[in-house]
Amino acid sequence: MKAKFKLSNLYLVFVFIVIYLPIAYLIFYSFNTGATMDKFTGFSMKHYTTLLSDTRMISIVLNTVVIALLSSLLATLIGTLGALWINQLKRRSAKNAVLSVNNVLMVSPDVIIGASFLIFFSFLGFKLGFTSVLLSHIAFSIPIVVLMVLPKINEMPRTMIDAAYDLGASKWQALSRVILPTITPGIFAGYFMAFTYSLDDFAVTFFVTGNGFSTLSIEIYSRARQGVDLEVNALSTLMFLVSLLLVVGYYVLERYGHSRRVNRNKMMKGPNAQ
Amino acid sequence: MEMQKKSFFMVPYLAWIALFVVAPMALILYQSLFDITGHFTFSNYTSYLESTTYLKMTFNSIWYAFLITFFTLLISYPTAYLLNRLKNKRLWLLLIILPTWINLLLKTYAFIGLFSQNGSVNDFLRFVGAGSHQILFTDFSFIFVASYIEIPFMILPIFNSLDEINPSLINASRDLGASAWQTFKRVIVPLTMPGVKSGFQAVFIPSLSLFMITRLIGGNRVITLGTAIEEHFLVTQNWGMGSTIGVILIIAMFVVMFLTRERKSKGGQSR
Amino acid sequence: MANPIIEFKNISKKYDDTPVLKKIDFEIESGKFYTLLGPSGSGKTTILRMIAGFEDPTSGEILFEGKRIDLTPANKRPINTIFQDYALFPHLNVSQNIAFGLELKKMSKTDIQAKVAESLRMVQLSGYENREIDALSGGQKQRIAIARAIANEPKVLLLDEPLSALDHKLRKEMQVELRALQQRLGITFIFVTHDQEEALALSDQIFVMNDGRILQSGTPVDIYDEPINHFVADFIGESNIVPGTMTADYLVHFDHKDFECVDAGMRPNEPVEIVIRPEDLDITSADKGKMQVTVDSQLFRGVDYQITGHDADDHEWTINSIHQTTVGAQVGLVFDPEDIHIMRFGEDEETFDARLDSYEE
Repeated sequence: MKAKFKLSNLYLVFVFIVIYLPIAYLIFYSFNTGATMDKFTGFSMKHYTTLLSDTRMISIVLNTVVIALLSSLLATLIGTLGALWINQLKRRSAKNAVLSVNNVLMVSPDVIIGASFLIFFSFLGFKLGFTSVLLSHIAFSIPIVVLMVLPKINEMPRTMIDAAYDLGASKWQALSRVILPTITPGIFAGYFMAFTYSLDDFAVTFFVTGNGFSTLSIEIYSRARQGVDLEVNALSTLMFLVSLLLVVGYYVLERYGHSRRVNRNKMMKGPNAQ
Repeated sequence: MEMQKKSFFMVPYLAWIALFVVAPMALILYQSLFDITGHFTFSNYTSYLESTTYLKMTFNSIWYAFLITFFTLLISYPTAYLLNRLKNKRLWLLLIILPTWINLLLKTYAFIGLFSQNGSVNDFLRFVGAGSHQILFTDFSFIFVASYIEIPFMILPIFNSLDEINPSLINASRDLGASAWQTFKRVIVPLTMPGVKSGFQAVFIPSLSLFMITRLIGGNRVITLGTAIEEHFLVTQNWGMGSTIGVILIIAMFVVMFLTRERKSKGGQSR
Repeated sequence: MANPIIEFKNISKKYDDTPVLKKIDFEIESGKFYTLLGPSGSGKTTILRMIAGFEDPTSGEILFEGKRIDLTPANKRPINTIFQDYALFPHLNVSQNIAFGLELKKMSKTDIQAKVAESLRMVQLSGYENREIDALSGGQKQRIAIARAIANEPKVLLLDEPLSALDHKLRKEMQVELRALQQRLGITFIFVTHDQEEALALSDQIFVMNDGRILQSGTPVDIYDEPINHFVADFIGESNIVPGTMTADYLVHFDHKDFECVDAGMRPNEPVEIVIRPEDLDITSADKGKMQVTVDSQLFRGVDYQITGHDADDHEWTINSIHQTTVGAQVGLVFDPEDIHIMRFGEDEETFDARLDSYEE
């Protein structure tokens, strides 16, 4: 039994190593004095200084962040409204039909989304660039927002909304004072997912970006095609830290909110429980 | 009653459905019916079906996707199973999922270094006396990197389905005389099938269409449906043929989804 | 009935094509405690939700203080509801929950504070203003839900099985408190339950419902002593129901004998059902009994024994007795003529009342 336990742990350790090795490798070589990922010749921050003085790269980072912030914000707005609408559909069949349509972009391969959006934009005679990328990012983020928000609406007991009306709330007051505060965690989760989707996207952007406009993924791709460039390593270290911060922040926020409730619950119940 | 008043809050969402779901899908079908000179024709489909290159490419793409999914499942199922028995399983799961938040391109890029002629993997092989090998730009490197990237998407649904299993079901199985292995085979595996199926969907469909990994790691040796679409749209500018392959890919996607769908009617759940 | 506060006129309700309420008519007087009692699916909650404004009738009219109210939305009705799951807002604390309706009415801050404190005092939870909802026990949530509703000073308070989530002991306590609260406030309570004991204990008036219809309405004593039909007799309390025939007025035939009874107004030899409550039966020796049964089982229940047996025709009889007997023994049963209640087949409430009036003066 004990031996088996150790063996299984060994397997997990192995999986974790494989998963984190490439990332560690990237970060390690970002501090290399040399120019390759082959031989570590000494510690240096020079790739970071190159990166920070690379104005093209910095403007691309800004582009990427602006696209991510804007697209996730708008996708959250539209997606939340969509989820509210889906929730109040009376017939189950109608609900399921809308949800299937909603999920088309979730299951479609990126290449299909990218190619079909490209046809769509050129069909309308739309100029490729910032706007087409922004619209595409909004478009592929909306379904994930709906999927994050809808369960929160469904979880909300029907009687809660009845109670709001019962106590004199108008439709708008019920929405703003009861429904939205209750589903806020879902909205935040949706926003967060939409934001990371946008930051991460390569394939769709690759199709609809045209010549003048570039995001980080596109830039990394074109540099990587030309071979190893340790400036990319430096960039990836920074991006890793940012993602780590985002995820940990999100996790802590969620855990804190949750455990605060639970703890208080335990505290208050303690004396009366028995 | 409270919804009787006409509301317009769903308009943006409906506009999104019309403009970015229905229209693009219709357009890709429409575009597939035009040749490179802009004439209406079925020739894209006939040439696809007559060309051994296209058919072979499609077959290869499906085969690669199958291999990627298979290896991913092989690694992920035990991982999910073992993770689920850990104390702080949620935290460990988060650590497994964490790399998915790191840009896909960067992870792929890391392997260019790792797998290169003088990269660490070859250093290691030389160190153990296996000699150096061409790893980059081979089928192996493509399947390895693709599996690496897809593993978290397989672990997550399997983990969740394991997590949902009521522990008393396991106890009941043991109580009824099943050994640990019999319990695993007859109780745990059937109950985690929905997770395996959604993992299969989540891995197989993207694997059919990966194009940047084939470019960076497969070195144009590996051509998938995704690579072919990208090639036709952005390099040779033959949108009609690209759309035709796109339609094939969409059909393949529906077939996979149909084969791995949840069969709800059997359990008779009425909700 | 002077001025009914709520009237249902010919109300029907269908979901898709399934009828859930069939031509309901009733009136509710101000200031009384009403209970809608019936099994699940009988339509009692639908009636409550119609009064609250969450459901529209398919046809018919609802009047409130003589004026139509069925077209008024829920948020404009002077009626509040206590929900089965309490429906307290988890993102608001206790005082914010109670103040919810008052704030919407644009009441001033100081008035709200006073009202919240008063409502909490009413439900004996003074000082709980800043508690979070998650930190309350089931019974406390129940009280806060009541406080939130009464803070709005509704003319009618609707209670949708509010005690069903509480344990037995707490439920008994809350029953006493609800009754007291209703008398203190003097407003109309309409209470929905499937628990007949609860209905009997709390109500001034009970409407017994089944299958979308009101079968019988009356005071708890009326309904217990004179159930209109098999369903009501069976649903309210424990009953022995056996078939028989009316030999003549005040004489009923069952178990191969004629028995004296207090019912009249039926056709001679009309087939009827006889109801005798288990607590009205006493056990004696076989030869002294008005009828004889063989004892099949005996359960000790604390206050008494529940004894079941069968007669010569194999009809089952349940007897609640404080004396023990022996399983398998033949015993005699004694009862008084007024313990026998006669039910006609297919008699509705109107003809039932008319018949009772005809011989009871």
